[in-house]
Order: sequence, then structure tokens, then C-alpha cells
Amino acid sequence: MGNAENKFDDMPEWLSKSENYIPLSDKDTFVNKSILSVFKVLSRIKKQDSAGGARSQINVSLHVFCTFVLILLVSLTRSFIFVLIVNVWLLSVLSMTDTIRLVKILKMSMGVTLFTAVVMLPAFISGNTYSSITITTKVFATITAMGLLSHSTEWSTLTRALKRFYIPDIFIFILDITIKYIYMLGEFSLNMFYALKLRSVGKNRSKYSSMAGIAGTVFLQSKEMAEDMYHAMECRGFTGEYHINDKSKFKWRDYRSIGITAGFFILFIYFGRM
Amino acid sequence: MHIPDNYLSPSTCAAMSAAMVPVWTKAIRKVKEEIPKVKIPLLGVGAAFSFLLMMFNVPLPGGTTGHAVGGTLLAILMGPYAACISVTVALFIQALLFGDGGILAFGANCFNMAFVLPFFGYYIYKLIKDHSRSEKGEYLGIIFGSYAGINVAALCAAIEFGIQPLLFQDGAGQALYCPYPLSVSIPAMLIPHLLVAGVVEAVFTAAIVVYIKKVSPGTFYKGAKEKTKAVYGLVAGLICFTPLGLLATGTAWGEWGADEIKEVVSGGNALGFVPHGMKEGFDFSAVMPDYAVNGLPEVAGYLLSAVAGVAVMIIFFKVLSNLKKDKAGNNVG
Repeated sequence: MGNAENKFDDMPEWLSKSENYIPLSDKDTFVNKSILSVFKVLSRIKKQDSAGGARSQINVSLHVFCTFVLILLVSLTRSFIFVLIVNVWLLSVLSMTDTIRLVKILKMSMGVTLFTAVVMLPAFISGNTYSSITITTKVFATITAMGLLSHSTEWSTLTRALKRFYIPDIFIFILDITIKYIYMLGEFSLNMFYALKLRSVGKNRSKYSSMAGIAGTVFLQSKEMAEDMYHAMECRGFTGEYHINDKSKFKWRDYRSIGITAGFFILFIYFGRM
Repeated sequence: MHIPDNYLSPSTCAAMSAAMVPVWTKAIRKVKEEIPKVKIPLLGVGAAFSFLLMMFNVPLPGGTTGHAVGGTLLAILMGPYAACISVTVALFIQALLFGDGGILAFGANCFNMAFVLPFFGYYIYKLIKDHSRSEKGEYLGIIFGSYAGINVAALCAAIEFGIQPLLFQDGAGQALYCPYPLSVSIPAMLIPHLLVAGVVEAVFTAAIVVYIKKVSPGTFYKGAKEKTKAVYGLVAGLICFTPLGLLATGTAWGEWGADEIKEVVSGGNALGFVPHGMKEGFDFSAVMPDYAVNGLPEVAGYLLSAVAGVAVMIIFFKVLSNLKKDKAGNNVG
């Protein structure tokens, strides 16, 4: 008890004075925006990592292939009806997915579609109705199809699927590292952004140069991490070659998606004829 | 500058992808030669870095923010070939997983941002740096290189957009893909890049290089053979400027189509299309029945709209319930 009183006496005078410091307001929208956009990416990566189970039921290579064919057909067709049919199909698939994913996919596709609509507006007004309407609907179909693919498959299985399309090992290897390190470096830079935000009380004039400092430090850190990673790889005997060892058989779902893609192909030819 | 699908024709996309194949092959071979095996993971980490760099917002005058692309920066730090691979991977992830940039347009996006941008920027930087050999000259090289790199890439994208209406039209003379000719697409792409994006890129690149130089000067890429490098630079520069040839033929095409524009001179439109829709007014419904009569049996049309209606309703209510859940969550938290 006595100790505490002693401490109070020892306290310098300026500490016991009440202060009335109001920090000057400063703009830091760009720091906030950077934090937000890095955070979005991180949460997106984390989401697809944690959720497993029911998602990987369909054969991923097949899913990638079907999506690619669909996007190609949509891009090639000159029939507005074909694009409409594809859109309706995608909307129905979208309505079956769970709400959280649905909102995410819709946000992405609506954003790009609205942007396209604005870009196409002058062309529409000046009479070029065909391309302005068709392109806008086509863009919606393409982005929705991509969204459905990336939100319904784990990314690690997606990179595995690439191996089936004879993409070189070095590319898959780099892709794998990239996704992992976007997460690690993202977290790293996020911490620095927080630090910058916490340390700038009042007006901080060197905030802009700190921004370059953060980017530079992230680069140097990435260099170190890359070297560490190589050594870790070497220790574990990984030479950068990938082998697929899953001999998964086609299930009825897979035959169904083949059937649907074939159906779209027939429709494409049917409407292309007219 | 990420081109989405359906702005470019599939044949343009195929041509651009084909143009990228030798570049990628060369880049992979070069990287294997130049970079010791220890540093191969650096390519992946570099790609992650270039991906994240686009998340970094830089303040712009007027209260808005923008972001840099960092192609020239990567080329200065790791060499242009490694930068090419890194940016390619970053673009691939953006297209496949984040819906940013098209899948079919991937080749075109790579041509602009993974090939033209880093190579052009790097060789401008190298040219200025080698001629001055002073510190100031190097910084000048960084600023000019990154500024030129992003603007030439934007010019390439604009040319790819602009040649679409010249090459791909339907029977009625309406464009099938991007409807804007070079006279519209080039200023639309270049003005914002020259005034804003290029400045952001240059300032940010220079600031990062200055920082890394100060903190860790030994980490820069050193071109091995100066002489051959200069030749490659010239070749890369020439390749970058070949689309300018298209530009010249583009204006010729525009002049050739002038009789078409004459017909609609009362409309005064700069696009050079026969305004097919003008006769029927700008009415959306005037366009729709036309398609419905031509293409689809009535029953199928009903069926299609019914399915669409149900799907849209389900989506609508799901979104609505999600919004409510969010609000409830906010109240609790």
C-alpha cells in the first residue's frame, strides 16, 4: 500500500497535469482503402481454404473445361437468344447456390456488367443497339460462369486440374507459390498498414513516403521468404515436378455437366444457323 | 487496363495468345538460364508481390485514389523476363479466381501488361541509365521508363479495342464486339493514363526503388551482357511499335468508310455506323420483338422467361434475407 503512494509522489509533475491535446485531422483514405482491398483478398483466399466437403464433388478438370467451352460459345455466337438462354441457365444455377456465395458472385458480375453498360451507352444512343445490348449480356454470362467456377472449387484442386491440360510444371509450381504468398505477404503488409495508421497521430507528412517503404519492405521480405522456401523444398526432396495420382471415376454429376455442355453446343449451332 | 471477355473478338484473342507463346517460351528459357535454381521460388513470390502492389492505393489530387501496376518496377528489380512470368501468373490468378479480366482475353491482357509494359519500360530505363551513368540519370530512367511503359501498354489496349469495329461487323454494318473505332478508343484510354495513371506509376516506382536502394542496395537485377541487351531492347521496342502500323491503316479504313458516315450526317454521330436503331427510335422494346419473332418459338420463349423469372425471384429473396441478416448482425455486434 505504502509503495503505491510512494510511486504517486515520484511521478513527474507533467504527468499529473490534465492535457487538452486535440490532434489535427489528417486525410488517410488511401491507407484505409489499401487496408480494405488487401483484407478483401485475404478473406477471399481464407474462405475458399476453410470450406471443403460438399464443394469438390464434381470433377474439377471437367468443370474447368465445361466453363471454358461455355465462355467460348458465348463469345463466338451472334445470336442474342443463345446468350439469353445461357444467362437463364446460369441464373438458375446461381439460384441453387447458397446465399453467401450467391451474393459474392452476383456482386462481382453485376459490377462488371454495370461498368460495361456505362461504357456501351454512347454506342447505344448513337444507334449501335446490337453490340451494346449483346456485349453487356455476354459480359454478365462470362463473369457469372467464372464466378461459379472459382467459388465452387478449392483453388488447390484448380491448380491440380491445370496439370491435366498439359500446362508446364514450372507454371503450376509458380501459381501454387503465388496463391500461398499472396496470403502471407498480404498479412505482412496489412500489419505494416496498421502500424502506419496507429503511428500517425495528427498530421503526418511522411505518410506518402511510408507507403513506398511498405511496398519496398514487402519486396525485400518476399526475397528472403523465397530463398527460405527453396531450402525447405530441397530438404524435403521436392524437385518441382507434379504428379497426379487421383484416378477418380466419372460420377453421374459429371455426365450431367457433359450433357449440358453438349446441349449448349447444339443450341449454339441451331441458333447460329439462323 | 484489364480487358474483359467479349470486348475483343475470339479471333483477336487467339491471335494475341499465339503472339504470347514465343514470348513465354523465351522467358522461361531465359529465366532458367539466368536465374539460379535457388531463385525460382522468387518468381512465384514476385507474382504475389505484383498482385499485392495493385492493392496499394495511392492518393491522387482531388481526393480520389489510384493504384500502380508495377510492371516496370518488377522488371528493374528482377529483370524483364522474370517480370514477364510473374505478371502473367498474377494476371492468370486475377482472371481465373477474381473475375478481373477475361479468360479468352487473357492472351491480349498478357501482351499488354506482361510483355509490352515491362519490356518497354525496362529498356527505356536501361537506355537512359547507360547513357548518363550518374545517379540522377538512373532516377530519370526509372521515371521515364515506368511512365512510358504503362502508356505504351495502354496504347496497345486501345488499338486492340479500336480495330474491332473495322474488322468485325455484321451484315447491317454494326460492330460485333467493341463498337468504338480508334478515334474514340485511343483518346479514351490514353488521356487518363497520360495524365493520372502514368504519373502514379512513375512516382510510386521511383519511390520504391529509392527505398530499396537505401535499405538493401545489393538486390537489383544486373543485365549480364550489355551489348546483346541493347539489341534485344531495339527489337522489343520495334515489336511494341508495330501496332502503330495498324493505326495508320486504321485511319485509311475510316476514310474509306466515309460514304457511310455521310448518310447519317444529320445524326452527327462520330462512330461512323449506320444508326440502324434511329429509324425505330432508341426503344429497347423495339429491338426485342424482332429477335423473338425471328429466333424462338413462342412456347420456348415463355418457358425461358418463366425459368428466368423464378431464378431471379429466388436470387432476389436470398439477397434480401442476406441483407437482413447483416443488419441483425450489426445490431448484435
